[in-house]
Amino acid sequence: MRKKFKRDINSLTEIFIFLDEFVAHHKLDESISFVLQLAVEEIFTNMVKYDVQNPSDIDISLAQDADQVVIELFNPDAESFDIHQAKEYDPSLPLNKREPGGVGIHLVKKFINKIEYDYKDGISKITLIKYLEKPHV
Amino acid sequence: MFEIKVNEAGDMLLSGRFDASQVGYANQFFDKVITSTVVDFKELDYISSAGLSVLLVTQKRLSEKNQQLKLMNMNRHIQDVFRYAGFDKIFVIA
Repeated sequence: MRKKFKRDINSLTEIFIFLDEFVAHHKLDESISFVLQLAVEEIFTNMVKYDVQNPSDIDISLAQDADQVVIELFNPDAESFDIHQAKEYDPSLPLNKREPGGVGIHLVKKFINKIEYDYKDGISKITLIKYLEKPHV
Repeated sequence: MFEIKVNEAGDMLLSGRFDASQVGYANQFFDKVITSTVVDFKELDYISSAGLSVLLVTQKRLSEKNQQLKLMNMNRHIQDVFRYAGFDKIFVIA
């Protein structure tokens, strides 16, 4: 499944419907559904926030094979930003040392098994891979 | 769909999906919190970093007056989000 979404935080409603359809079609469980929502929201909102003037839509592709879900987000006409270079988030900081922001990418890294970054011809592509647990026998 | 209700005791009841598109709506409620308040997650299905930021800003503001948010009834996915973010160390969670 692949679909374009307007570069706007309010596209999230439409994105969640798109994800729900994918989850229902592949009969994925609620744990996977939660992770897909979180990972896609965090990456999509980052693409919106840091390139708000860019008029290009953002493409989201979803696929599943036997043991993994592969999510790709394509950000056209964008500057290169390798998610692996994002500032490290420190979850041990006390309340008075914390500031809003920075936790989204950290959560994606925690919930997603594999993250790949590619930049080619002005298109910034982030691939997120979530392994599916095999049923116990 | 995300909704906040405030009961007679002043407890806040969250329901639905607390995502980045709901920050403006949520701030209408959290900006008014000035004393220690219970926030009930019983009907909340989902929260992202945007929702965490609303809670963090409120908690920091309240802590200056020795007040705090008290969070309860989180589902296990939201518990994971709080644990990974280290938010389980800066909030009272029941």
